[in-house]
Amino acid sequence: MAAPNPEENRRTFDRLANIREIVFGVQDGVLTTAGVLAGLSGAVSVRSQVILAALASTVAGALSMGAGAYLGRHAESAVLRSELDRVRRESADQPYVVQESLLDALAKEGLSRETGYRVVKLLSSSPNSLYSTAEEKIYGMTATTFGNAIVEGLLMGVAFLVGALVPLLPFVLIASVRTGLIAGLATTAITLFAVGYIFEGHLSGARQPSLAGLRFLAIALSAATIGYVIGLLIAPIGTVPAG
Amino acid sequence: MLKPGDPAPPFDLPCALDDKLTHLSLASIRSEIVVLFFYPRDFSFICPTEVIGFHKAQAAFKAEQTSIVGISVDDAETHRRWARELGGIGYPLLADEGGKVARTFGIFDEKQNVALRASFILDAKRTILYAVVSPTNVGRSVSETLRVVCALRSGKLCPADWEPGNDFGPTDAKY
Repeated sequence: MAAPNPEENRRTFDRLANIREIVFGVQDGVLTTAGVLAGLSGAVSVRSQVILAALASTVAGALSMGAGAYLGRHAESAVLRSELDRVRRESADQPYVVQESLLDALAKEGLSRETGYRVVKLLSSSPNSLYSTAEEKIYGMTATTFGNAIVEGLLMGVAFLVGALVPLLPFVLIASVRTGLIAGLATTAITLFAVGYIFEGHLSGARQPSLAGLRFLAIALSAATIGYVIGLLIAPIGTVPAG
Repeated sequence: MLKPGDPAPPFDLPCALDDKLTHLSLASIRSEIVVLFFYPRDFSFICPTEVIGFHKAQAAFKAEQTSIVGISVDDAETHRRWARELGGIGYPLLADEGGKVARTFGIFDEKQNVALRASFILDAKRTILYAVVSPTNVGRSVSETLRVVCALRSGKLCPADWEPGNDFGPTDAKY
């Protein structure tokens, strides 16, 4: 059996850590665009205008989601790095405190105090090893904690774009507005189920990935339905009485 | 927590000394002064600096007719391995499993289930002359403990920052 490659393992975990952006982006792209198509189809009679509006919404949504993911991760990383720098400065001044805290953390994980002491003592021969282990065990920080703002922003934007195409393509390809809309909503439901099936079910090794798919579909559709109902309820508020 | 003037509660506990497991009672200690120092745990990163510090200063304490006794909630066998790990400790490490003695001195941390970092200096009648508790993450000063032992044995009024060999203060003053 080949020895595990830490670098490869880390890259794999980094990739898996980006599943959040893919799932979030696809789900948002699918639902937002399906909502735009459904809403505009009833209000606007010209099919090309509906398509143009949906395209504009898609591009704006993809850019906004991508930028949001980038900025959010960038800000979070900056704050975390600043906090980590502060902890490292304090640790350099008081290495005993780090060693004791790490020893306590290892003891809580089940190592005997004596064994934990020897582990920490060995780690202490390399300050980098001591601090990186302490950051993980004491503060819960790992390589994926900081992520990659650019990659996450791009992934989110592209995922939104791909998700948006799901209801949009049938609408563009089918000449009938009504049939196109029904086909778009059907592909939306199938896609939501598939995202849940693949990411929450299949990749996580769930026993019944179908249930994961149905759960994902139910939550996403519930959110969309609640939003739609709230829209219906507040619509009269904005209606200007005739005469 | 017990304070100066209180009698030290008697104890008789298993201990590790010179790589052997034995017993030690307060009554069996013959020296004029006893420094009894509680510490939280064996196999930790702050305690060894104190345990080793007292070990290195043992000759100086002996010259002041003073015995050093370390005590924690670890068992005697753990004390023995800990002393080996530190290269040998020349004074007894008492095993106060469950913290009964620490409780009688009023320095047991019920949350952490360990003794606080407390030191007591006892006179020949085993009355407490001096008591101090340090925060868990701050090691005590061995030299300060020795300074206090010397000051107590002088029987005179010692001004602030007095060191052995320094002049004593005026006899009509109190510090």
